[in-house]
Amino acid sequence: MRRFWIGVAAIAGKDLRVELRTRERIAAMGAFVVLTALLFNYAVDRTAVHPREIAAGLIWMTMLLGGLLGLGRTFELEKEDGAFEGLVATPLSPEALYLGKVLSNTLILTLITALTVVVFAIFFQVDLSGNPGPLAGVLFLGVTGFTALGTLFSGITAGTRMGETLLPILLFPLLVPLVTFGVSATATLMAGFPATEILGTLRILTAFTLLALMAGVGLFRFIVEE
Amino acid sequence: MSLRTVRWAGVTLGALGVGLTLLFHWQVFFWVPTEASMGIVQRIFYIHLPGAWIAFLAFGIVAICSAVYLWLGDDKVDQAARAAAEGGLIFTTIVLTSGPLWGKIAWGTWWTWEPRLTLTLLLWFIYVGYFMVRNSTDNAERGKRFAAVVGIVGALNIPLIHMSVQWFRSLHPQPVVARPDGPNLHPDMLTTLLTALLAWTLVFFSLFLFRYAAARLESAEELRALTRASKAAGDEVPVP
Repeated sequence: MRRFWIGVAAIAGKDLRVELRTRERIAAMGAFVVLTALLFNYAVDRTAVHPREIAAGLIWMTMLLGGLLGLGRTFELEKEDGAFEGLVATPLSPEALYLGKVLSNTLILTLITALTVVVFAIFFQVDLSGNPGPLAGVLFLGVTGFTALGTLFSGITAGTRMGETLLPILLFPLLVPLVTFGVSATATLMAGFPATEILGTLRILTAFTLLALMAGVGLFRFIVEE
Repeated sequence: MSLRTVRWAGVTLGALGVGLTLLFHWQVFFWVPTEASMGIVQRIFYIHLPGAWIAFLAFGIVAICSAVYLWLGDDKVDQAARAAAEGGLIFTTIVLTSGPLWGKIAWGTWWTWEPRLTLTLLLWFIYVGYFMVRNSTDNAERGKRFAAVVGIVGALNIPLIHMSVQWFRSLHPQPVVARPDGPNLHPDMLTTLLTALLAWTLVFFSLFLFRYAAARLESAEELRALTRASKAAGDEVPVP
């Protein structure tokens, strides 16, 4: 069991180290979310609706679209020079490989989500001071559920000819629960309601995330197998 | 089950199903009483509801066969999953076309975020993803495994998606939705509905068996071609 978690940490550590040195994905995703927020400013008629009122939905959509950009490239590096086959050939179990990838993706995307929230707070004067703790918790739960499912499907799309183009088609129909309950909880908290108001939605978000993680751990083996 | 049995079962179910389909269309057009509040358009219901029932039944079959395929690796089970998914896609499309046609007159709009309609649309996209994954891998075995994973994860997620579309709707009340369901159905309406359900269930299983048999023939033929090719190559160059 200890070896398993060492493997998870090794994979996550490798990915984060590569990311830290190249900063490719973080730079692309970061620029993406800032520019998307910028475009939203022009897409929303500010005399008719104040962006603050729909900020929760916009933040989640920006996070998902930006995250998609990075998730699609989860196995990009491994595709070169048969690195993926090498990784599979190591004594590392597929489950550890999956969880390691989820971990690194989640950490990177958490950073991007934090950036998204800050950008929205600055651009659209969204007030975050009401419930910063629970808000961060809801967003982190959402990010984890998203990467748990996204990493699994990214493993699939990496093995197809269509590649990343296929990812949203597979992923988006399944993200409906995440968006519905995530946006609702976020909007409730931003409106200043206490965290006890969102216990029900929080439970479903947790169920989604656990289900996604379990599905990933159980099925990733069949994706990497030759 | 031998292929011959499969084909015979397919023909029998298909003949019965088509016969009953003709019967229920006669019932729908000439026999069943017109619903009082919605009028003639309510008759679409008799093809809409059986379509939805099959769409979800097929998805269940896809998920179970996919899980068994990943577990045992038997190609036959994968062919069954694919056949069910094809049928499911057809009937989901029927639901998605008949629903808005009815909605335009009954609700006054082509589309509302009615939970069941939304769920069916998402189901349709999951089916589409299932086939896109299957057909876009260079290695056929891998495509089957990928598709199986998509089928299983999709099915696991359906209850949660169902919850969210239900919940979402309760937050956003729609114009009053009159629905002809419920136990207080006219007995003739119930008869028509049950005939339609039976008819299309039979048609679905007939299509399912035919597609399954076709897939088995295809793979048998591929295997023969492969053996021939390797034999032909073996005559000239000895294969190590």
